[in-house]
Amino acid sequence: MINKLRHALHRRSVFIAAAGAMLLPLVSALPAHAGTLEQAKAAGKVVIGIQGDNAPWGFVNSSGVQDGLDADIGRAFAKELGVEVEFVPLAVANRIPSLVTGKVDVLFATMGMTAERAKSIQYSKPYAGNVLSVYGPKTTKIADYKDLAGLTIGVPKSSAMDTSITAGVGDKATILRFDDDAATIQALLAGQVQVVGGNQFYGDRLDAASAGTYDTKFDLKTLYNGAGTRLGEKDWNEAINAFLDKIMANGEHAKIYAKWMKREVPKFPESMPDIPYTVM
Amino acid sequence: MANIGVNELLFLLQGLKWTIALAAIGFVGGGIFGLGVALMRVSTHAVLWRSGAAYIAVFQGTPLLMQLFVVYYGIGLLGVNVDAWIAVAIAFTLHTSAFLGEIWRGGIQSVPKGQTEAGKALGLHYVSRMKDVILPQALKISLPATIGFLVQLVKGTSLAAIVGFVELSRAGQIVSNQTFRPLMVFAIIGAIYFALCWPLSLWGASMERRLAKAAR
Amino acid sequence: MGYVLDFSVVYQRLPELLLAALSTVGLAVAGMSLATLIGILGVLTRTSKSRILRIPTIAFVEVIRNTPFLVQIFFIFFALPQFGIRLNPTATAIIALAVNGGAYAIEIIRGGVESIGKGQIEAGFALGLHKGQVFRHIVLKPAFRAIYPSLTSQFIMLTLTTSVCTSIAAYELTSVAQRIESDTFRSFEVYFSITLIYLAISGLMMTLFSAISRLLFSYPVR
Repeated sequence: MINKLRHALHRRSVFIAAAGAMLLPLVSALPAHAGTLEQAKAAGKVVIGIQGDNAPWGFVNSSGVQDGLDADIGRAFAKELGVEVEFVPLAVANRIPSLVTGKVDVLFATMGMTAERAKSIQYSKPYAGNVLSVYGPKTTKIADYKDLAGLTIGVPKSSAMDTSITAGVGDKATILRFDDDAATIQALLAGQVQVVGGNQFYGDRLDAASAGTYDTKFDLKTLYNGAGTRLGEKDWNEAINAFLDKIMANGEHAKIYAKWMKREVPKFPESMPDIPYTVM
Repeated sequence: MANIGVNELLFLLQGLKWTIALAAIGFVGGGIFGLGVALMRVSTHAVLWRSGAAYIAVFQGTPLLMQLFVVYYGIGLLGVNVDAWIAVAIAFTLHTSAFLGEIWRGGIQSVPKGQTEAGKALGLHYVSRMKDVILPQALKISLPATIGFLVQLVKGTSLAAIVGFVELSRAGQIVSNQTFRPLMVFAIIGAIYFALCWPLSLWGASMERRLAKAAR
Repeated sequence: MGYVLDFSVVYQRLPELLLAALSTVGLAVAGMSLATLIGILGVLTRTSKSRILRIPTIAFVEVIRNTPFLVQIFFIFFALPQFGIRLNPTATAIIALAVNGGAYAIEIIRGGVESIGKGQIEAGFALGLHKGQVFRHIVLKPAFRAIYPSLTSQFIMLTLTTSVCTSIAAYELTSVAQRIESDTFRSFEVYFSITLIYLAISGLMMTLFSAISRLLFSYPVR
């Protein structure tokens, strides 16, 4: 008798829970439907791919809200389009795949502009600058790629630092590739790697963790960041370029830049070889 | 080094919310499909039990992480555009359906043949036989293993972190990186998972003991 | 959307992937071997009369079995250095696999050993066998045969778990696949292909284990 009751309750509650679980996706916001600009405007939101753990560009702060330079620019872009913004935090290696497979409409995800990547995505005009360097302990003398021989180097997977250092040292050093900037910095702090290839903010973050222990060794290259959209989609590309022109002219961009980068907006190149800013 | 304060703990709890949601959806959704898989697997039709067996073999013979990646990127290619968490939930549902299908198949096959024969003798057709006679007994026999799998599922949700999804483990990584205290943060994360899983494990073990006693 | 599947990029780098698959199997074998050792030692401490040995063993098994592997390996790689214990990615992967597999091995082996009835052991002594012979023929071999299915399926699961080691940059199949993905941006093709490779690895292991089982356990039980 008790067993029968238990089974009945079990069965019924399973069905109720199942029904609830099936309804959950409907109850949540409209599914991300990354498509054309018109579709996004009609749906009332733009889905922006961003980094979730890379201060000060894109990171989720301790209140669980997406913040940073990319987040502020993303919000301004959504406001310009007159829609809501939905941020999707992405791992470094997931950024381009997520855009290409339609999971996001546009990337404001610290996308360093390289000719290689320009084959897979459409960049906008550059909106931020980023000096990539090798960071290591103050006590070690490292002036160029030659001095990296025999060391263990940490980089985020498929980042521009990864490409530069892999090309620069070949197999003379051990390169460990981690999922993101956070794990890479952790690895250096834990001593699992001796040096890392990082962006211009690693310095601040390393100092916050352990003041005065690390410094910049040598610069790898200067990257400019552009917004990413899918190849051939003129509507998104034109909208973003128009938006960037507008905020750079009216000073809004400089304000956001100073807030996060704590420096003046650098002069962006008018054009870069093999990296078109507009859809051809 | 920053201190782990209330804000950080709240952020971890947000991640915990997703861990529980993913596990619950995976378990319930996977349970429903798993029933279908189990029934296919014990069927007498060659097409049904072969495809059931193949389905189970694929999910048991490949890493959960790969299943997450393939579903996550594959769904986008099908032209269906869904939120990240739906893709991940679908992957966990499929994974669960295969494992529960196999566990419940074992349960169904443990029910004495006499029960099926008696059911047939009473003139019950397939659906009624399954629903009222076989499945209740089969599910009861498989309860310990089912609970055991639920524990594996909760732990498995941690892999959603590798596709960038902010559940408990990823929240822990983020907090660890903001406070630079990996030891303390990962210990807290481990403790939270333990608090989730250990009671379930103990429940499963006590179920197993009870069934063994009943069988004596 | 016009996304055309292109598996040729994977085919071109197959040799790299196969080498990485070898490394995956290597990590798994090393992890399994240590796990078995931990399992045997753990059974001894778990069934010991002394509480100082028994309680930490139980705690170890419960903690490892109720926390995710990802958290365990992060702990070993990123947090242990604070204690001065710094292991490189390969060593970390092997230790993490050994510890994780070991906790499950302890319970599996314990189940097997405890399934040998006291009557069997007493009969062995009554027949004049000395301690070593009793242990080997009456306890070890039957217990091993009983736990063989559970132990081998646990080992196959351990091999599949090596994929998680990519998070600490260990050299195995998944991390090499991610490098190929970052070069080609063909995520689905790459991951689908290595899923097939993992399937092949687990399939081969199952065949190997069942062949070994036929070799060792062909004698009738009763």
